[in-house]
Amino acid sequence: MSKRAARIDIALALAALAGCALFTGLFLRAEAQWEIAVLAVLLAATLYAAGRSGVAARLEATGAAHPRAASLAAGAAMLLLVALLHSSHFALLMMATVALFATACMGLTLQFGYAGITNFAGAAFFGIGGYTTAVLATHTGVPHLLVLLAGGAMAGLIGSLLILPILRTRGHYAALVTIAFAVLFKTFLEVNDALGGPQGLKVPGLELFGWAFNRRIPLGEDREISFFASYAALSIVLALLAYSLVKRVERSWLGLSLDAVRVDETAAACFGIDIARWKILAFTLGNFLVGLAGGIYAMMLGYIAPTSFTFGDSLIMVSIVILGGLGNPLGVIPAALLVVVLPEKLQLIQEYRFLLFAVVVMLILVFRPDGLLPRRMREYFAGWKRA
Amino acid sequence: MDPGLLGQYLLNGLVLGVIYAMVAVGFTLFFGVLDVIKFSHGDVVMAGAFVGLAAYAGLEHLGLHSPLLALALIVTAATAAMALFGAAAARYLVLPLRGAPPLNTLLATLMLGLALREAVRLFYPNGSNPKPFPRLLPVEAIDIGNFTLRYDSAIIVLGGLAAIFALHIFITRSRLGLAIRAVAQDAETARVMGIDFRAVVLATFALGSALAALAGVANGLYYSEVNFSMGLLLGVIGFSCAVVGGLGSVLGAILGGFLFAALQTAGAVWFAVPAYKDVFAFAAVILVMAWKPTGLISETPAERV
Amino acid sequence: MHPGALALFFVLLLGGCADSPTDTVKIAFIGPLTGGVAANGLGGRNSADLAVRLRNADPRSRHRYELVVLDDECKPNIGVQVATKAAADDHVIAAVAHYCSAVAMGTVDVYHKFGMPAVVWGAVLPDVTYGNDFDEVHRVNGTMINQNDVAARFMTALGYRRWAIIHDTTDYGKGHDKYFSEALAAQGGTIVGRFGVTSDQQDFNAELTKIKELKPEVLYFGGLTPIGVRIRSQMDRLGMNTVFQGTSGIVSAAYIEGAGALAEGTVAFREGAPAERLPGGAMFLEAYAKQGYGDPPEAYGPFAFAATNLVIDAIEAVGPNRRRVVKQLNATRDYASAVGPITFDDHGQNTVPIISKFVVQDGRWVIWEDSDYARGKRKLPRPS
Repeated sequence: MSKRAARIDIALALAALAGCALFTGLFLRAEAQWEIAVLAVLLAATLYAAGRSGVAARLEATGAAHPRAASLAAGAAMLLLVALLHSSHFALLMMATVALFATACMGLTLQFGYAGITNFAGAAFFGIGGYTTAVLATHTGVPHLLVLLAGGAMAGLIGSLLILPILRTRGHYAALVTIAFAVLFKTFLEVNDALGGPQGLKVPGLELFGWAFNRRIPLGEDREISFFASYAALSIVLALLAYSLVKRVERSWLGLSLDAVRVDETAAACFGIDIARWKILAFTLGNFLVGLAGGIYAMMLGYIAPTSFTFGDSLIMVSIVILGGLGNPLGVIPAALLVVVLPEKLQLIQEYRFLLFAVVVMLILVFRPDGLLPRRMREYFAGWKRA
Repeated sequence: MDPGLLGQYLLNGLVLGVIYAMVAVGFTLFFGVLDVIKFSHGDVVMAGAFVGLAAYAGLEHLGLHSPLLALALIVTAATAAMALFGAAAARYLVLPLRGAPPLNTLLATLMLGLALREAVRLFYPNGSNPKPFPRLLPVEAIDIGNFTLRYDSAIIVLGGLAAIFALHIFITRSRLGLAIRAVAQDAETARVMGIDFRAVVLATFALGSALAALAGVANGLYYSEVNFSMGLLLGVIGFSCAVVGGLGSVLGAILGGFLFAALQTAGAVWFAVPAYKDVFAFAAVILVMAWKPTGLISETPAERV
Repeated sequence: MHPGALALFFVLLLGGCADSPTDTVKIAFIGPLTGGVAANGLGGRNSADLAVRLRNADPRSRHRYELVVLDDECKPNIGVQVATKAAADDHVIAAVAHYCSAVAMGTVDVYHKFGMPAVVWGAVLPDVTYGNDFDEVHRVNGTMINQNDVAARFMTALGYRRWAIIHDTTDYGKGHDKYFSEALAAQGGTIVGRFGVTSDQQDFNAELTKIKELKPEVLYFGGLTPIGVRIRSQMDRLGMNTVFQGTSGIVSAAYIEGAGALAEGTVAFREGAPAERLPGGAMFLEAYAKQGYGDPPEAYGPFAFAATNLVIDAIEAVGPNRRRVVKQLNATRDYASAVGPITFDDHGQNTVPIISKFVVQDGRWVIWEDSDYARGKRKLPRPS
């Protein structure tokens, strides 16, 4: 490939990144119906054009050729967006929410997309992270960094209760195990008063290395940095780390083993792959990520209750994973944006919004069955086909 | 325990079990022919009950008050409408997704269920509130000590069992039933034998949905009340029953239905806080899955490698 | 994405584009518009909408008002999200908020952080106002403490002694269980059994069979209309003939419609004067009927109406400024509303002096004192 072409590719990638950031910012701030509609049309038209003209494929190649630079640039763009939106509380809250859901769903991607474990209890593990954080941060003086990690660890630990049935079952049978757990978890929290019962628990704000996240920082006379800005920045960094982790797993022999386990257990076992070990690893690591994100979410909102962690909420996470494209952690990000922000933007149509949301998701599934960004086949030699 | 009360608990569990079994049979049928889970099934139960209710309202409007006629009309309207709906859902949502990962079907039908639920809530007159379901069965009761048996409970149990039995006969004895079993066993070979695959799938979905509508009507008659959100948990429970019993097996679905009802009733009796009964029942489901990973009556265990 | 799918999406999205003029004053209404308790949220929404419409039609009003309606789905995380949305918008001066207590518990911090006045219209958990010292948070409806105190006194005065309790395991049901038990203990009643049930439960036969064995005189139900209807209907199946006593959660037209003839003789209590009895309340019901909303106002509609009017009057008096409106609201004393006089204590809680007692008679909620039951023409079931 010539130097010139490479330079064009990089310029193109940067432009696309800037475009994405701009779009995210505008979409988050859009209030009126016509603004949202115009943005949606614009997005669809751009995606269509990019797909048709081959720009999308070129961008993807550029990203694949410089994975680290690409994710760093994406992170920098999003952080820049946080800085630009520093005073709009709501947009930042939504950004942080999207980033946290994306992080959680990257954990689920490890399970669904690589190891082939269906997990319909995502919100339950999210909730375990949140509740652990709430209890530890309220009743102990443990530094919050450890508290958050403990939230993730607890999710992994409680998840291990389900390991035996999950290892023994497959497909829809495995789905039932997690569905049962999701229903059981919420009912248990409501009936049991030890964790606040149905009323829920207050969660203290996050404090990392002496920095209180809930503080608002005045900027001159009547401007200030929102207290959600720190959360948004942290969540974006976390999502980025989770993305790198998942990508790293995918590219390594770990990912290869996991893929083998998912695609054909019998064959994988014949090649000496320890199926149980990889499934346990993917399930626990996935739940850890979900729990970690749940802990930060709880601290950001300051209040958690069982009704936020129902089976229905788990399904929202599953829809993010599927809509993004099963097994593609990158697809999770636009899908999270869509699933988290769209119902919010649909507030304008009040009680009709879930009807419309359901219809939109069904249409996407019928017309784009592999999700927004489908996972590509593994390439034995990077860039081989295009060379 | 007082024998009268024990009888009462048994009866409660029995009715519950019949309703669960009717829902579970649908799951098992769909899985059999197409290897898919249609998660909107619980909401089809609900929609069936509402169609029946609307038919009843129409009849009242015409000034006809015969309970027998009303019952016949409710059952016919509900089963017909839901059969049509089931076939349409198969034709326009499930079959087009056949090439996609099975999870997509699951999500798509979940969304269909959500859409159905919200549509009933929004478009049925005052649909966000619970609606009374007419009492069309005789309500006289036999009292033996602490045991109260109302005729309608008995009729619902017998009617439900009869419907499931009729379905079983239909599947094992009729030509269409044979075709359904053939597709369930091996869709490719069935096609080669000249079976119209699509028609069989549509028929199966129509059949399962009609049974769900019947479950909805039975539910309405038994509780004298229906509401738009009743399908949500019923769907999850029906799915659990079908899986615990063993997907693909009608007998398994019935077994699963009664097992789940027994677990819930026992849980409600044992625990001081009855709300723990769902925790108990679902925990038991997880244990059963760990013990029998493909359900109590499992599909053929042989696997093609 | 397929173009056909998109086209449909935009057609749906574009339906009803409207831009608001900037000189209007915005008030947020937050409540559950989707999901299980949507009926109450929609009733509250319509009532708040009615208050705004009536005020905009009034030539004396100094501002034009616009209601920003937000759905909290009865979930605290969504509640915090929409409350932040409303509070972060400087044009939204105040919020009329929340039916679900768990949501209100989560959002009070948000209102405090942003200094936005909020008037709760339906959540009944005492901690919403008494669990904090926030100047911004007010509540027009009473708490479940008042309600249950009156309920226990009244029922024991009628001569009942043995209760069984069914409550749902939401904060609403659990709170009612707690406060009614306390109030009843003070009056010397006994509780023979207590049953927590989940709010999406369909079948109560097992619980009711247990209760039947315990032979209570009254079955107290702490929960909302949907399962109230189910429990009342299923009592009949087991041939139970105990008094059914509910809370404010079942004082709704939907309860009577759902339970049908079985509703007769159900007793329930609600804070605030009955709307029909007050001139303001009668006016509200009449105006509501005239607007032709698709859903009834439900039990807490009048409170949402009163809360919205209270907020609007505060804005009329001191102008659209959050800080001044908070101050004005805190000074509320004997404000005449559709639910009777409103007086806020130092926690912003309306010290509701009146609790109304209701009984179902001939398919209507009738105020106890006006009913045939009080006159002795009809009798509630007595233990044999």
